[in-house]
Amino acid sequence: MFSQKLVQQSARRLAVQQPLAIQSMVRASPAAATLGLQKSVDKKALNRAVTSTAAEENSILAKQRMNRPVSPHLAIYRPQIGWVASGLNRVTGVALSGTLYLWATAYLASPALGWHVESASMVAAMGALPFAAKVLLKTIMALPFTFHSFNGLRHLMWDMGRGLSNNVIIKSGWTVVGVSVASALALAFV
Amino acid sequence: MASFARSSLVRQSLAANRSPLLRQNVGVSQVVAFHASARKQILPPLPLNDPVPTPAPHPVEGSYHWTFERAVSVGLIPLTIAPFAAGSLNPVMDAVLCTLLVAHSHVGFQAAIIDYFRPQRVPKFSSFCHWLLRAFTLTTAVGLYEFETNDVGVTEALRRIWNA
Amino acid sequence: MASLRTTSRLFAASRPLFRPASFARTYATVDSNVSETPKMKTFKIYRWNPDTPTEKPTMQSYELDLNKTGPMMLDALIRIKNELDPTLTFRRSCREGICGSCAMNIDGVNTLACLCRIPTETTKESRIYPLPHTYVVKDLVPDLTLFYKQYKSIKPYLQRDTPTADGLENRQSPEDRRKLDGLYECILCACCSTSCPSYWWNQEEYLGPAILLQSYRWLVDSRDEKTAERKAALDNSMSVYRCHTILNCTRTCPKGLNPGRAIAETKKMLAA
Repeated sequence: MFSQKLVQQSARRLAVQQPLAIQSMVRASPAAATLGLQKSVDKKALNRAVTSTAAEENSILAKQRMNRPVSPHLAIYRPQIGWVASGLNRVTGVALSGTLYLWATAYLASPALGWHVESASMVAAMGALPFAAKVLLKTIMALPFTFHSFNGLRHLMWDMGRGLSNNVIIKSGWTVVGVSVASALALAFV
Repeated sequence: MASFARSSLVRQSLAANRSPLLRQNVGVSQVVAFHASARKQILPPLPLNDPVPTPAPHPVEGSYHWTFERAVSVGLIPLTIAPFAAGSLNPVMDAVLCTLLVAHSHVGFQAAIIDYFRPQRVPKFSSFCHWLLRAFTLTTAVGLYEFETNDVGVTEALRRIWNA
Repeated sequence: MASLRTTSRLFAASRPLFRPASFARTYATVDSNVSETPKMKTFKIYRWNPDTPTEKPTMQSYELDLNKTGPMMLDALIRIKNELDPTLTFRRSCREGICGSCAMNIDGVNTLACLCRIPTETTKESRIYPLPHTYVVKDLVPDLTLFYKQYKSIKPYLQRDTPTADGLENRQSPEDRRKLDGLYECILCACCSTSCPSYWWNQEEYLGPAILLQSYRWLVDSRDEKTAERKAALDNSMSVYRCHTILNCTRTCPKGLNPGRAIAETKKMLAA
């Protein structure tokens, strides 16, 4: 193994210093060819290697990049109170504002469409429901509101540059969860 | 039993494709296809080593926008607490609450659209969302104005519904 | 480590080709070096090979005896590469949390493999992914080109035109120097940036927590004279303000730094 490497090395050195001599040697001896000398003096290959431009290299890289998959993200990240609460903040916000937008737009369109979304008919509809349904409906409406409100306070605290240590982030997160669930239930049974 | 047989099958087919060293490998017990990763074209192709371009300053979309957003949120705090303390709000305060709610909602929806529908990826849908939002904000504002003037007001309506 | 390697190779050679995992127990009891019962733990590792780009990424399982493995995740990865599967590809260099090469997602959280202990609980498998929402070069190696380009864009060097008073050094009071504590230690491992959902969705324009922490490091440097320019470069809808204080960055930083605070302070500076 070692001697073979030695022969190869010396042959390579020779190839660099006296390429013509080596070429004749390769032609003469098939054994030398098997040592990989043919490759080392392949001028075409050498030229190819030298003439590849930056643009060509970039296009190869760009082609490679097209094939690259995006590594998994949301599905594999460990659920933690920080980002889950933040996600819920957006979900509840969109739900609350979406309700407001849809209802207000429906109210505007109601004379033309003949819908009844004014306060009197909504109060009547709510009053017609059984107690359990009332509590359920109130909880569904109150929980996003309380969570978004209390978590909003947490976000405002962070925007003032306070409570940004890991300890406070985790504790305040669970506090918000507890307080918002409790207050939503309290509101539901009012 | 079935699952065991499958895993050993996979292992065999794996080992057949790999080097002799790997063929002795008992540690590699199974391979399962992974489905949660998407292949999307997001990055523009290179050039390497250049810094990403720095956007032109636009404080109206940047720092002023941020400060406005916080001011609206802070303003909502007393207006949210007051109805619980007083039972309801007078029409003026109710109108202020509605204005702030619409502003807060609009800014919130806007942030969501910018986050999830980037113009580089979905240019038409992105601008559609923005225009839809503007239209809805307008109808909401007018609808709330109508409600405030012709009906009992938002806080009073909520109080009545809650106590119904 | 070397002795461990030779013994396991020996045993591997004497074993039948395909043996159910449950029989693996017999092999450690023969080993005179280890008296305890083996603690086999499964590692599930994300694999993707650029040479076969049409094949979907897969999760591949490896089992290691924790008694023979070093305490850190990086030890496990190196042992898998040495003994089980030389094709497994990952970056690593310093093995002591100063180079940031071995940043990856381990058990759902971004961290440095060299600073992450292997959970000793053997019933639960450990799952190892590349940094989330990055382009995968191969297996656990993410493409961080964009990350470095963004770093370059914030001009991470001292910008100053005024010559120093003594012509030797840019001097700084101990109080001003203290402002850089918790900022200069960042090793740019990209754990925080790739943990940030905002960065996942908008990484082309949003700079991400790591780069913003670096940006803040130059904003508060008393010796830097381009503070106004630096602030102007950030004052747009995308560069900073895609941050919605999700604070995954602060939670995940393997160096215990606080990118979330740096961004909050940056926003305060921009608003003032």
